[in-house]
Amino acid sequence: MFRNPVVQFVLASLLLFGVIWWGTGRLSQTAARNEALNDARDTTELLAHSVAEPAIPKGMVDGDAGAIDRFDREVGQRLLVPDVQRIKIWREDGTVVYSDKTQLIGKKFTLDDEQLDVLHSGATEGGLSDLRRQENRFETENDGLLEVYTRIDSPEGEPLLFEAYYSVVTVQQRAAEVLTPFRRISALGLIAILLLGVPMIGVLTLRLTRASRARERLMERAIDSSEAERRRIARDLHDGVVQELAGTAFALSGAARESGTSPELRSVLTRSSEALRRTLRQLRSLLVEIHPPGLNAGGLGAALEDLTAQAAGAGVTPTVSVTGMDGTPDHVVALVWRVAQEAIRNAVRHAGATTVRVEVLGDGPQVSLTVQDDGVGFDPAAGGRQDSYGLRGLQSLVEDGGGRLQVQSAPGVGTTVRMVVERG
Amino acid sequence: MKTRTALAALTLSVVALPLAAVAPASASHGGGDAVRTHGGCGGPAVWKLKAKPDDGRIQVEAEVDSNRAGQVWDWTLKHNGSVSAKGSNTTRGASGSFSVERRMADLAGTDHFTFRAQRRASGDVCRGTISL
Repeated sequence: MFRNPVVQFVLASLLLFGVIWWGTGRLSQTAARNEALNDARDTTELLAHSVAEPAIPKGMVDGDAGAIDRFDREVGQRLLVPDVQRIKIWREDGTVVYSDKTQLIGKKFTLDDEQLDVLHSGATEGGLSDLRRQENRFETENDGLLEVYTRIDSPEGEPLLFEAYYSVVTVQQRAAEVLTPFRRISALGLIAILLLGVPMIGVLTLRLTRASRARERLMERAIDSSEAERRRIARDLHDGVVQELAGTAFALSGAARESGTSPELRSVLTRSSEALRRTLRQLRSLLVEIHPPGLNAGGLGAALEDLTAQAAGAGVTPTVSVTGMDGTPDHVVALVWRVAQEAIRNAVRHAGATTVRVEVLGDGPQVSLTVQDDGVGFDPAAGGRQDSYGLRGLQSLVEDGGGRLQVQSAPGVGTTVRMVVERG
Repeated sequence: MKTRTALAALTLSVVALPLAAVAPASASHGGGDAVRTHGGCGGPAVWKLKAKPDDGRIQVEAEVDSNRAGQVWDWTLKHNGSVSAKGSNTTRGASGSFSVERRMADLAGTDHFTFRAQRRASGDVCRGTISL
């Protein structure tokens, strides 16, 4: 299924979309966090300088309960705008001068360096709250809080730290606001690409498949034609030239045995007859190479024996084993024979082998051929050797036949050629 | 509301005033978490003071009931000795009373509230303290 280009295109698109989805999520989270922090800074400065600072009564900085009441009644609710979860106003020594959580008023905590910097510089800073701190013991926001602080002054002129806390959920909502439209566009883009691309890829795949099938049919026809031509040549030679030569050799032998033949003529006739017989043997061997007679599943063993018989003549000890080939179609048998022929030829001509083992095994839907020699071997990656060209041709032949060819070899360890092809 | 206030004033006139003349203010938990107290103002008027928790704050209610409408009183509400609110009110209605309500910060520890009202014309003073 995964070899289908349409499926590959859809999977690649989905993968790309996932990466975009994740990446934009990360970027928008950062952008939203910055934007939310900027909003929180603006809100904090507005609350601090426009609402809280003008309303601070004298005495509140010293813990005057009446002043705290007046401040709380006048601006307490106005400070708690919807985004704000908590307000604290600190003295420099860490005493909480005011908080909407009034139990904190008068309590003393330690201001950290950043808060003290803000108190001294008058800047506005913010960050995530550490809810483990004692000053935050009343906070129950599970998602965390964002705290922003800035400096204000009491009517007595004492610098105070104004601190506002915001829910992180607000930040997440802002991220969603930033992210949602972008993701909507991304999703629509992907859907559009899929709607446009899938049919196009489908059509192209169909065309390629058809072209590939046409090419395969052409190759099969070419192979069939070649086989047919080989068969025709072999048959013509066998039925014509071979018969003529055999008859001539027989006639020459008969003439040599005639009683009236002079010894000189007998000698010439006998040598001519023997020369014709040698030529006849060579011609028959050539015919076997061009196309062995009766090459089918039942005759494969004998054909391979003929092939290796030539190897035996070159001083190589061959063994042949053919099993499980009943019912194998002729074109598969022919492919097995061709590959075995080339592999044996290489073993005899180039490898300097002393033994060659040929094994053909029909196993279920597959047929395997193994040709193993104990020759000098070679480095398959190096190429360039004469037999490499033959192996390259074999590779092409096997692939055209729908099989797989594997060549294992190394200098000094011989060569094993293994082919696997579908039986059907 | 007015009927209820009038009835309360009448009851106080009959029951509380004689007591006020002879006893200082007394405090009690009248129900829930509320604390109440009341007392006399040195004349025919009486005062009532109530404090109760209210969503992280303390709601303090003070009432002066003189049974005569049109009297002007200046009042002050202190929180832990510091003035939290002050103002002037005129008794109204058949009950001749006025009341003030303020939300106070619920500070750490016990909060003490003091209510003082003085009638401009006579100088009668109502003064009560309550703690929560």
